[in-house]
Amino acid sequence: MATLQQLKTSSQPMRVLSFVSLSIIGMSNQAHSAPITFNTALPVAEDEYLVREQLIVNQSGNDPGVTDRDRTAKAAVSVLGYGVNHKLAIFAVLPYQNIDLKVTVGGKRITRSASGFGDLTIFGRYTWIQRDMMGSNFRVAPFAGIKAPTGKDNERDSLGLLPPAVQVGSGSWDPLAGVVMTYQTLAYQLDSQFSYQIKNEANGFEAGDVARFDASLQYRLLPREFTGGLPDFLYGVVEVNLVNQQKNRINGNTEPDSGGTRLFLTPGIQYVTKRWIGEAALQIPVVQNLNGTALENDYIGRLSVRFNF
Amino acid sequence: MKKLIIISFLILTWANTVLAAGNQYQLQVAGLACPFCAYGIEKKLSSIKGVENTQVDVASGVVIVTMAEGVELKEKAAREKVKKAGFSLRSFSRK
Repeated sequence: MATLQQLKTSSQPMRVLSFVSLSIIGMSNQAHSAPITFNTALPVAEDEYLVREQLIVNQSGNDPGVTDRDRTAKAAVSVLGYGVNHKLAIFAVLPYQNIDLKVTVGGKRITRSASGFGDLTIFGRYTWIQRDMMGSNFRVAPFAGIKAPTGKDNERDSLGLLPPAVQVGSGSWDPLAGVVMTYQTLAYQLDSQFSYQIKNEANGFEAGDVARFDASLQYRLLPREFTGGLPDFLYGVVEVNLVNQQKNRINGNTEPDSGGTRLFLTPGIQYVTKRWIGEAALQIPVVQNLNGTALENDYIGRLSVRFNF
Repeated sequence: MKKLIIISFLILTWANTVLAAGNQYQLQVAGLACPFCAYGIEKKLSSIKGVENTQVDVASGVVIVTMAEGVELKEKAAREKVKKAGFSLRSFSRK
């Protein structure tokens, strides 16, 4: 049975938190029809701004262990994009998070929680390949950036210092890089992205590095036929998210019950107008090959709006 | 006199139509494939001095730009604005 001391220092659910962080970083932040769970290579016009507001609920549970862990992370994520020129865009991503971790200790159910602004991520994306055809385009854009430790990583409750899984900030500077590809036509859009984030040590804890591959198909459902002008588009969306995380390290020692691979299937819907986009998606874990007694994801739900300014 | 008034009216109407049509430009934009993308193009083109209106047809990739009376739209300026929006100007013509 878990003791309070173990509970105070446990980092097992950290892999879930790391995944949430990367989900936020890797999320789509463009004001175009675009993937819902990750980025796109479509352009941001020079000297123009884009804004995205996203609500994310990440639920984990079904813990086989005696502590019966149940974790709910809710995040309101704000994204600001700016077109430096027609090739280079810069993005800032800031989440406001509320994290609850429920555990059973000594036969008693307790909740440990924290809330507040999390870590700020800033990255740049450069359009490396651009092919514009009539009614379609193809682009490849590498990106790179860093997550800054702006969120609090030393929150305490009556039991003491909260474990990393409950802190809204990581305390570490974590660089990330990747490449995104987009092929867009009037009828559908295909996007895929590969990204890698290095997790660094803070407070004696180092989460495992995260590699992920994402793919998205957005298929235009409405209008079925064009009658001129700029009609609103309704897209049906299907995405897959493959996420692999290495094992965590605590005070230099590898944590065996950490890291692993997750595969999500993500159906969604997207309504696109000239000025805004509304969208929703549900990430359903279809494969979770995790190390040790990992806490599995139940689902990740997303609601989002994007605005062109 | 009545004949003269009718002829004058017809001439004025014809001239007005010709001048108005002559102040519109048709741009073919490559890469345009969704309504949200069109906003950036509209906004960039509208920032050109003398542009009164822009109309995008997303299916054909055609943008009609209406200029103020007596103001000419230069192809170089239109090409530059489309490029800044992240797309490519394929053709440019006066309607």
